[in-house]
Amino acid sequence: MRGVLGRFAMGVQIVILMIVLFAPIAWMIVSSFKSRVDITQYPPQLLFTPTLENYQQLFVRTDFLENTLNSFYVAAGSTLLGLALAVPAAFAISWHRMTWPATLTLFARMAPGTLFLLPWFIMFSNIGLSGTHAALIITHAVITLPIALWTMLPHFDGLPRELTESAQIDGCRSHQILLRIALPVVMPGLIVATILSFIFSWNYFLFALVLSGISSKTAIVASFNFIGEGVTNWGTLMAAATVIALPPIVLTFMIQRRLVSGLSFGAVKG
Amino acid sequence: MMLPAVGFVAVMVIFPFGYALWLSLLDYKIGQTLTFVGIGNYKALLADEQFWNGLRLTFILYAGALVLQLVLGVALGLLLHRLETLKGLIRTVMVSPFMLPPVVVGMMSIVVLDPSMGVANYLLKSAGLPTSLFLASTDFVIFTVIMIDTWQWAPFVALIILGGLQSLPTRVYEAAAIDGAVGWRQFVYITLPLLGPTILTAAVLRSVDLLRFFDVIYITTQGGPGYATSTLNIYAYRKGFEFSDIGYASALMITLSTIVFGAVLVFAQLRRKVAW
Repeated sequence: MRGVLGRFAMGVQIVILMIVLFAPIAWMIVSSFKSRVDITQYPPQLLFTPTLENYQQLFVRTDFLENTLNSFYVAAGSTLLGLALAVPAAFAISWHRMTWPATLTLFARMAPGTLFLLPWFIMFSNIGLSGTHAALIITHAVITLPIALWTMLPHFDGLPRELTESAQIDGCRSHQILLRIALPVVMPGLIVATILSFIFSWNYFLFALVLSGISSKTAIVASFNFIGEGVTNWGTLMAAATVIALPPIVLTFMIQRRLVSGLSFGAVKG
Repeated sequence: MMLPAVGFVAVMVIFPFGYALWLSLLDYKIGQTLTFVGIGNYKALLADEQFWNGLRLTFILYAGALVLQLVLGVALGLLLHRLETLKGLIRTVMVSPFMLPPVVVGMMSIVVLDPSMGVANYLLKSAGLPTSLFLASTDFVIFTVIMIDTWQWAPFVALIILGGLQSLPTRVYEAAAIDGAVGWRQFVYITLPLLGPTILTAAVLRSVDLLRFFDVIYITTQGGPGYATSTLNIYAYRKGFEFSDIGYASALMITLSTIVFGAVLVFAQLRRKVAW
């Protein structure tokens, strides 16, 4: 009897948890299909005729398509830059069993982003890079580098040492060992590092808020501006939110199991 | 092969940190002459009412959200650990909130928590409960922010705890059961101490994010109403980019960074103590 009751209680708790976590997301998606009239109904309606007018408004009347493309360029560029810097570094750190360079990158993870903004703003203005995609790619690489490095480290640590040592004896140079021997083995880790880097760069708000120009404005910053400008109604706002939420959610599904260990900088296995 | 990465961090992280330190010693407002004032900005900070307000808000947000997320995280972690079916589906729902872009969480909060038209107040009213101004209330707004962040990050803590629970040695539980430690006693005397390092790991990760929490606050309130959500990070940003007071903003940011590093060091020490 106790077992049945216990199970029932547990089921109820799980259902409540799922509703609390998922209801706001569902509400966002549902609202994005409401017409201008339906969204201002009070009490809020669950039944209505769905419409695509918000998405139409978003992509036709605003620069949101261009903003989304900017987001994509910045996220892809900073992911590639982050990986190009982090993967060889993680390999070397693991090989030489040195930890200080890895610890150094944690500094970037711990310091408030606002701290870097003023110096970066001055630095980029001086070299004429402010407002460009390049400035955003470089600054977002500050986010992606530690993520990629710490995701790759345990994978390189797990490589059997004989594998790389025998290649060394055969006369392979270190970058050849990395590219031809180590990388194919740590491919699963590389995929997780790529996806996590992309998501975090895509989601990042603060740097683009200050450093993006009109032609490089990301979808995240554009949506933030929608809130203040009042040019869009709630429906369009929710349509924008749904569009930017889509890439991280879809990518997350692909790496679910490894997600938490990736996000905890190697502190959690699982 | 580490050189490019180390060079990048030196140019983009270490140099700007030193630069910010230097800026914090200047009286530097856009459009005015620049003067060296030494620790003048830091002295001014101690006399600034909004600095103390920011420190207080940072602490309320930090302590409130951290405790709430750890307690809920442990409770949910234990719940998920007992789960036998639908694990994949539930995990998917659990990871969704913290993988959403903060701007999405912000926009969602603005719409759901709107005082007059939002669905949250409608549900509260229908259930006969008092409604709230949420993000528009000077007194309650900081707790609203705590609620939003807890919705987003308690599932993350829960998944970390779940990982910790799954790696606990089962032998200990068998031995404890023989000694009569079951149920609540088992949790207090065995599970909790063994989970210590995992809980601290979650605490460090959340501490770093909470102390420098920026995006959702700035997106939903821009530090307002008034200064009601101007935590140190938000206040520093406003000083730097709304008031163009670069020297003073830098002093605020250096102070906040010191607090974050201090907290991480304290947790690192603690973690060494509870290790088993």
